Amino acid sequence: MHDIYNFVSGPLVWVSFVIFFGGSLYRLISMAVLARKKDVFVYEYMSLKFGLRSILHWIIPFGTVKWRKNPLFTIVTFTFHVCIIFIPIFLSAHIILWKESWDISWWYISDTTVDILAVVVIASCIFFLVRRIVLPEVKYLTSVSDYVILAIVAAPFITGFWTYHQWAGFRVMGIIHIIAGEIMLASIPFTRLIHMIFFPFTRGYMGSEFGAIRHAKDW
Amino acid sequence: MEKRTLIIYTVITLIGFIFAVMSGYSQEDVTNVEDSAFEKKMRPAVPFLHDKHNETAGIDECNTCHHVYEDGKENEDDSSEEQECSECHTINKGDNSMALVKIYHLQCKGCHQKKKAGPIMCSECHPR
Amino acid sequence: MAEPAIKRSDESSKIVDEGIDKGIARLTPEKIEQVINKVLAAETGARLKTYVETCVHCGLCSEACHYYLSHDNDPKFSPAGKVKQTIWEILKRKGKVDPEFIRDASRIASTECNLCRRCAMYCPFGIDIAYLMSVVRRLCHMLGVTQLYIQDTAHSHSATLNQMWVKEDEWIDTLFWQEEEAQDEISSLRIPIEKEGSEIFYSVIAPEPKFRAQLIYQAAVIMNAAGVDFTMPATPGWDNSDQCMFTGDYEMMGRLKKVHFETAMRLKVKRIVMGECGHAFRSVYDVGNRWLAWKMPPIPVTHAVEFYYELLKQGKIKIAKKYDKPVTFQDPCNIIRGKGLHEKARYVVDALCEEFIEMHPNREHNYCCCAGGGVINTGPQYKMKRIKGNRIKAEQLFATKTRGAKVIIAPCHNCHGGIEDILHHYGLDMELHFLGDIIYKVMEKPV
Ligand code: HEM
Ligand code: HEM
Ligand code: SF4
Ligand code: SF4
Repeated sequence: MHDIYNFVSGPLVWVSFVIFFGGSLYRLISMAVLARKKDVFVYEYMSLKFGLRSILHWIIPFGTVKWRKNPLFTIVTFTFHVCIIFIPIFLSAHIILWKESWDISWWYISDTTVDILAVVVIASCIFFLVRRIVLPEVKYLTSVSDYVILAIVAAPFITGFWTYHQWAGFRVMGIIHIIAGEIMLASIPFTRLIHMIFFPFTRGYMGSEFGAIRHAKDW
Repeated sequence: MEKRTLIIYTVITLIGFIFAVMSGYSQEDVTNVEDSAFEKKMRPAVPFLHDKHNETAGIDECNTCHHVYEDGKENEDDSSEEQECSECHTINKGDNSMALVKIYHLQCKGCHQKKKAGPIMCSECHPR
Repeated sequence: MAEPAIKRSDESSKIVDEGIDKGIARLTPEKIEQVINKVLAAETGARLKTYVETCVHCGLCSEACHYYLSHDNDPKFSPAGKVKQTIWEILKRKGKVDPEFIRDASRIASTECNLCRRCAMYCPFGIDIAYLMSVVRRLCHMLGVTQLYIQDTAHSHSATLNQMWVKEDEWIDTLFWQEEEAQDEISSLRIPIEKEGSEIFYSVIAPEPKFRAQLIYQAAVIMNAAGVDFTMPATPGWDNSDQCMFTGDYEMMGRLKKVHFETAMRLKVKRIVMGECGHAFRSVYDVGNRWLAWKMPPIPVTHAVEFYYELLKQGKIKIAKKYDKPVTFQDPCNIIRGKGLHEKARYVVDALCEEFIEMHPNREHNYCCCAGGGVINTGPQYKMKRIKGNRIKAEQLFATKTRGAKVIIAPCHNCHGGIEDILHHYGLDMELHFLGDIIYKVMEKPV
């Protein structure tokens, strides 16, 4: 157990972070280089002002017609995304590990709050899953990989929650949790989770085209 | 009141007393790691059987754990079992208690990791 | 949980289209693979890759598309659904698709998407489905698979530099003819041809001299009444339309726009003002210029709606009596999502008409007419597809009619074509006009 723990909470963390940051950087750079080579006008039309204007509307809940048209979905997806980004960063258990290894720490959310939010995230994942199965327009687009991605994202929350509550086998679950978290991080650059990295660029580009060239809103 | 009844009562009381004393005595070893510097507890305090731990771990010297540092150097002849860790490892004002959590964790978990024995995961030390 | 197999729709096989059938007959899997991979490697890059890899398959774009809404939410007609049936498959199979796949791809990209870009406002990532469908059209073009009717217009473009096989003398004749006609009404009226150094080059689409010469008449009246210094060329280059942009024949598109811009340069005009056409505006202002490596058109381009706005705002046209029938306004994709002219258009409508009733949704969110993006030009075989594919427009218009609107103003030729068919098929008794029609009716005319 000690060997495994030391391994997954030591070298493997390094590996996952290197893959996550390195991979994301690689994806960004290779996109930029390819655009320079093949879609060079993207650079011409990209406008900071209009790009940000569009991004801003889209990252504000109910900031766009689309978000207003599907209030339930909007609430779920915003809570889900906010949680998925903030929980791992502001969870005290995680920060303690940072403190132990790097002597750095920052503000944290109370464990009880996180506990509730973890349930919210798991529920959101179930919502997305049901949606995928039930709604024809989503089902039509769905491939196995979509379920896999959803599982990858749900896993750290389910296992983390389990460990925190010290349910049966929590020691093993703790190890699984750490591995699940690492898998999630490492898979971001190489699955559709890359949408996290590309969102500012795709949305920003559409916002630039609409704003600067076409003088219209795109939200 | 009959003499026999009195004796039985006395004996029961005595046994009860002895039990209480005995249990009180043996509980002296069962204790929690507490530090008054933790004002608000995030997780339950860690139960710690001092003698049993040291027996299992083969620790004879108090200052293996209750160390004393002077000018950055460990004073091998001194020990600090009368002090709370936070007396030396003070938390700066405005600092969250993470710094103190860290030194406790490194003291316990760090050693366990090195020795590959003893609890290392959150819940192994902080039970519900 | 397996990938749902893409069901071949029997729809495309029902329609007889020589352009498609003969094109398909010439294809072999080897040729398809080779052409697809060549085109993808040479012409696509970061945008295609990023769009495909970023799409999270969430289906949020679905309700943007009038085809989807009109087909009872059939996912095959959702924007991402169309990408799944075409681009995703092509990329997954690395171009190894059979001729029948190309038949379906052509049907989807050319007759089931108007490139209206409404979906870009509903996808949270702003994935440009219209661009992806254009890529499919480009592939089909390179494979020689294009609907006969629109291919014919593309041939006309390449042979005559206009869309409708209008010969040079016919063009000049038409201008003279309309000038003469209009002189009956306004004796001093002129349609100045080849007047170098004019303020404005007034350009139109070839269907105007071909079928709707009265639009040239009306434009001449408006120009003359407003005292605008304009000219029209006697040479090819007068036509601003562009079906090549829609078939994926970009080389030809480039030639067309080059001639158009060069004609403006030759006439030494200050700017080009175009008639009430949306797709032509897209070509001149947005797509064609880019192919020629102009970030913005090399000479300012003004769409009729904006031009009318200027004339009214500056008081160059005076209104004798406002139009009294209640009107509604069709926001054409290519000048609203394409140039943001919605508020100016409303200014014009308000200036001309007594009662204006909005249709819903409107402005950037208006539904496409289902004729644009070259779809109406694919020919009569696809007419019912357009009509069925835009039931939602009929519903939208009906709701507006219920609220009192009797007249639809649509400042776009494609919108006219599409809405005319919809009005007829769904039995909506409403009138349909251009802005120019109304201005001509209500303006003060010199004698
Ligand atoms: C990268 C390596 C990771 C390590 C070493 C790690 C470690 C831990 C530890 C030690 C706990 C505490 C368990 C307990 O309280 O007993 C925990 C809890 C948790 N972690 Fe992680 N974690 C990692 C990644 C992640 C990621 C990527 C996520 C989410 C995206 C995540 C979400 C959570 C959640 C939701 C909890 C439980 C919170 C609760 O229910 O109170 N972890 N993690
Ligand atoms: C700035 C960062 C991010 C942005 C702007 C973003 C945006 C989006 C959007 C717009 C969608 C589609 C609609 C929806 O389901 O909400 C989506 C879906 C999704 N996102 Fe993100 N995302 C971000 C980061 C992340 C991260 C870090 C993860 C997890 C690692 C994640 C996991 C997911 C998942 C699993 C879905 C699919 C839900 C489904 O199956 O329908 N996202 N995201
Ligand atoms: S028709 Fe318009 S909304 Fe539908 S897919 Fe094409 S561009 Fe998108
Ligand atoms: S809304 Fe965007 S991300 Fe979602 S399925 Fe449609 S194109 Fe893909």
